[in-house]
Amino acid sequence: MQNGFMGGKTIDNPVIELRNVWKVFGDRASEALAAIRSEGIGKAEVFERFDCVVGVADANFEVRQGEIFCVMGLSGSGKSTLVRHINRLLEPTAGEILINGTDVMAKGEEELRLLRANQIGMVFQNIALLPHRTVRDNVALPLEVQGMSKMERWDVAERSLAIVELTGWEDKFAHELSGGMQQRVGLARALAADPDILLMDEPFSALDPLIRRQLQDQFMDLSARLKKTTVFITHDLDEAIRIGDRIAIMKDGVIVQIGTPETIVTQPADDYVADFVAGISRLKLVFAHSIMGSIDAYKSKGGNSLDTAPRVTEDTDLDNLIDVAVETDGPIIVTDSGNVDIGIITKADLLHGIQGGKG
Amino acid sequence: MATEVETAIPTAGTNAEGAQPTNGDDLIAEFAVENADHYVRQFHKIGATQSYAFTFNPWAALLGPLWTGARSLWGVFWLFALAEMLAIVQLGRGLWGELGAEQLERAAKLTARAEERQAAAVQAIKDAATNAEALQKSAETLAKAAANAMANAEVALAQGPRLIVIGLVLLVLVKLAEGMIADWALERRFSQWRADRTLRAGLSHAGFIGAGILMLAMYPMTIYRFTVANPPEMLTTFPADRDLRIAVSEWLDKGFDLITVNGEAVFDSITFGVRVLLDALETILVGTPWPVVMAVIVVLAWRLAGPRVAVFTVAALAYLAFLGFWEKSMSTVALLGAAAFICIAIGIPVGIWCAKNKTAFTIVRPILDFMQTMPAFVYLIPVIAFFGTGKPPGILATLVFGMPPVIRLTVLGMRGVPASVREAAMAFGANKRYLLFKVDLPLAMPSIMTGINQTILMCLSMVVIASLIGAKGLGEDVLEALQYAAEGQGMLAGFAILFCAMILDRIVQGRGGSASN
Repeated sequence: MQNGFMGGKTIDNPVIELRNVWKVFGDRASEALAAIRSEGIGKAEVFERFDCVVGVADANFEVRQGEIFCVMGLSGSGKSTLVRHINRLLEPTAGEILINGTDVMAKGEEELRLLRANQIGMVFQNIALLPHRTVRDNVALPLEVQGMSKMERWDVAERSLAIVELTGWEDKFAHELSGGMQQRVGLARALAADPDILLMDEPFSALDPLIRRQLQDQFMDLSARLKKTTVFITHDLDEAIRIGDRIAIMKDGVIVQIGTPETIVTQPADDYVADFVAGISRLKLVFAHSIMGSIDAYKSKGGNSLDTAPRVTEDTDLDNLIDVAVETDGPIIVTDSGNVDIGIITKADLLHGIQGGKG
Repeated sequence: MATEVETAIPTAGTNAEGAQPTNGDDLIAEFAVENADHYVRQFHKIGATQSYAFTFNPWAALLGPLWTGARSLWGVFWLFALAEMLAIVQLGRGLWGELGAEQLERAAKLTARAEERQAAAVQAIKDAATNAEALQKSAETLAKAAANAMANAEVALAQGPRLIVIGLVLLVLVKLAEGMIADWALERRFSQWRADRTLRAGLSHAGFIGAGILMLAMYPMTIYRFTVANPPEMLTTFPADRDLRIAVSEWLDKGFDLITVNGEAVFDSITFGVRVLLDALETILVGTPWPVVMAVIVVLAWRLAGPRVAVFTVAALAYLAFLGFWEKSMSTVALLGAAAFICIAIGIPVGIWCAKNKTAFTIVRPILDFMQTMPAFVYLIPVIAFFGTGKPPGILATLVFGMPPVIRLTVLGMRGVPASVREAAMAFGANKRYLLFKVDLPLAMPSIMTGINQTILMCLSMVVIASLIGAKGLGEDVLEALQYAAEGQGMLAGFAILFCAMILDRIVQGRGGSASN
């Protein structure tokens, strides 16, 4: 497992931890899993011999306090299956799931119910509002389940709706709202019980691009204010990069790579990830420290004097580096936060960095 | 450029004739095994046309059902075999049939009797008996009948050559049709095989032999039955054993007797429960002064289903009241209300259970089919045996017919609840009770309401039949009208039942129902 660069966020204890989680669908799941472990058989053979399908294979990751952790993969890659293990909507075939350090698997029915009601909010791709209830009653559902009185939960629901800017729509029914507004209701419902954790299962995938972008912005804004620990499922790498502090890329049930958007783009773990990131614009994702060379090497090659060279900090992105480079003929010196010179970027380094060939 | 052309061919080649061998052709060959070239050409021809393309398969025409057996086309086998038998039976009758045998026999008999009668007549004339003239006439009639039979026999005999020609022409036509259909049938089979390779491809020896055996079993027996004038009874009627039926029905009778004697306490308590419910309803509907009941019904209709239904209700109630059906209608509604209430009270929980439990539904479903299709008169008998006659047994008989719709539609509604909505509720910590009462049931409600509506209508349709075992009310009027062939009386009572049903239905459906109508 890779430990990602934390994008400047404070590193706390992990809120969600998954250790060696397996999910095999089928009547003979445990047999199939035993065979996978002992014989190392592949997906096709599992299906042939046991009539079982591997949904998630040996998933390991942790999500820290306040982090937005994106799980990216194509349809059928097991990402939605994976996220449903965190609140045990699906039972893992094997493995450990910890939330705030306590084992979710050890919880009884009532404890699990309380965990879902108090600590975890979930947003669904198909929104899944109750059609026979008003917006307010839909948002109040998690509170109702907890046994809160009607007046109290209506108050909370209205506050939650205010957060997603839907004040004034409380008494409408779900079908009277547009898709984007419905998903905001879905988000308000997930936030209503003020949970620590948000599970977002492709929340914006079914929306049209413009609305999707608006909701992404609104969500990021909310997320920055409310500091919820979030697991965000998406099939859209652009969305993952926009929203995620870290990204896990899944393929056929296996987590192929976990890392910051920058690591994913600059150091793809395999060809599959490389293919994915090929079309992504690197300008805002790649920073000076990943394309710089060493100053000593530059000097030993007898390069020009560095006296007049401009200086940038190591977290300057390519976009800004280009602006600096246009103003000078020579190389650019990279400094760390303590203003110490740590590397150098030549024109060639910069161009290769933009091109992405250097990696 | 060249590679581009090559890669473009497979898509174009599948329906264009004369294209170089493509993947599709290989598949056809793999499927056909024998005579592959023929099938590649014919399948292309079939694929290239939107309507019918003429194809002819000489082997299929020659071998007919044997070919279909070898190609595992068993549906077509029966079609071919039956068509061929039709032709061959005609041929057989023409060639070997004892045509006119029956008539000849009759003619011979009649002639003998005519001669006998003639002799008697002659004797009578000699004795100058009074009946001589009558005997003479009778003898003449018999002789005429004999001549008639003889003529018929000759006509039948003359039909022989015609039957042979018809048979031959039919056989040729059938063979031609077989040849023309064969490739189409096999092409369809090929399409299925492409999707499911476990289907048999190529020629099957077992199929060929199987088809042969079937033909050997069917053809001679059928031809024999149609060519022989008096086929043995074994071939025309199934050798059923009458004693078996008697024994089984006696055994069933004993079973019922046993249940009646031993289950008396159970049956009595059921009857008692139903009677309590019915009495309560009758007190409300019949015992309460009619202006109060009418006012309540109209207000209910207005509040629950809107002003239009209220107006209709007033008109329908007026019909019942002015034609003197009021009391009978109310006791019918009480009967029906009790039956529908029990149906719903049992049906919805059973429906929920069946929706949650697949095994339960696989057991319950055939029972529901049984309840709905079994003729009411059949289960009236055990109902009388167990519960006697009167209103409660009438309600119990109504239950049998009335309960299935509400169960079925509850299952349907519960299964139609989107899994995503249930999952969402679960993700927020809903427990089973919350899921059932706040998610499943509200979402299934439209379907359940349809079920309740159907159940009420079914119960009402049983009113007449229930009156057969002494459940009084409007049904009794209809029954009487039937017995005395009183059309007017029957029509009036029938409409009274109809209006009761419509008022109930509209009120139960409420605003939703009236809006969608």
